[in-house]
Amino acid sequence: MDIKAVISVINQMEADGVVERYAIGGAVGATFYLEPVATLDVDVFVTFESAPGNLIVSPQRIYDYLTARGGAIEREYIVIAGWPVQFLPPGTPLVEEALKESEIKDVDGTAARVLTADHLAAIALQTGRAKDKARLLQFVEAGVLDIARFRAILAGHGLVAAWQTFEQQFLSDAS
Amino acid sequence: MSFELEKILESKRALRRELAARPIGEKLRLLDALRERELAIRCRATQAAHADPSAPREEPVPHRTKPENER
Repeated sequence: MDIKAVISVINQMEADGVVERYAIGGAVGATFYLEPVATLDVDVFVTFESAPGNLIVSPQRIYDYLTARGGAIEREYIVIAGWPVQFLPPGTPLVEEALKESEIKDVDGTAARVLTADHLAAIALQTGRAKDKARLLQFVEAGVLDIARFRAILAGHGLVAAWQTFEQQFLSDAS
Repeated sequence: MSFELEKILESKRALRRELAARPIGEKLRLLDALRERELAIRCRATQAAHADPSAPREEPVPHRTKPENER
């Protein structure tokens, strides 16, 4: 089990042109900024061109590429280096922007493209499940957000009211 | 050791800050280890449940759309 090996495989997949761009999100992405929290899978956002004449974007090229290199398909995941990896297209304008503005981080000499802390926090707010709220709170408490940029992202994606509600629910004592 | 809540909370915050500040390579290796542990616990829990069918277990609550006396 080796996340660094997963990153290497995905880097190679990007270099081989299977995807235009990838960026790691979810709990693994958050670990680049916060303390590690147990997770069972790796969320990887990807942009890729649809096949000519086909408007529906298909992950088939990813599946074919990775299974040819030893990856195993398990339900919606592809298992690479012992980790189930889920490839996700950017489903919202917020995630699209997050992918465009993602950053490259160095992992012991291996480049890894990761969503920024500000975008991960905004996506957590938008997704809004209990575990997303807990993660958003971690980002705030850790002081890793660029607050001006975070607020600009929220304003650009209609999340200001959701943020105010979150602040009232979870941050009112801290303010 | 102290049972003062504020000290306990501050100690937890300090540990989280210390973990967050570790090099990313080390944090990712911790994720590998955490996942392995989680899978091992789940596997053992499943094996234990199958090994001892007499072990007490909670039955799921039946879902009913109507009260008993209205059926």
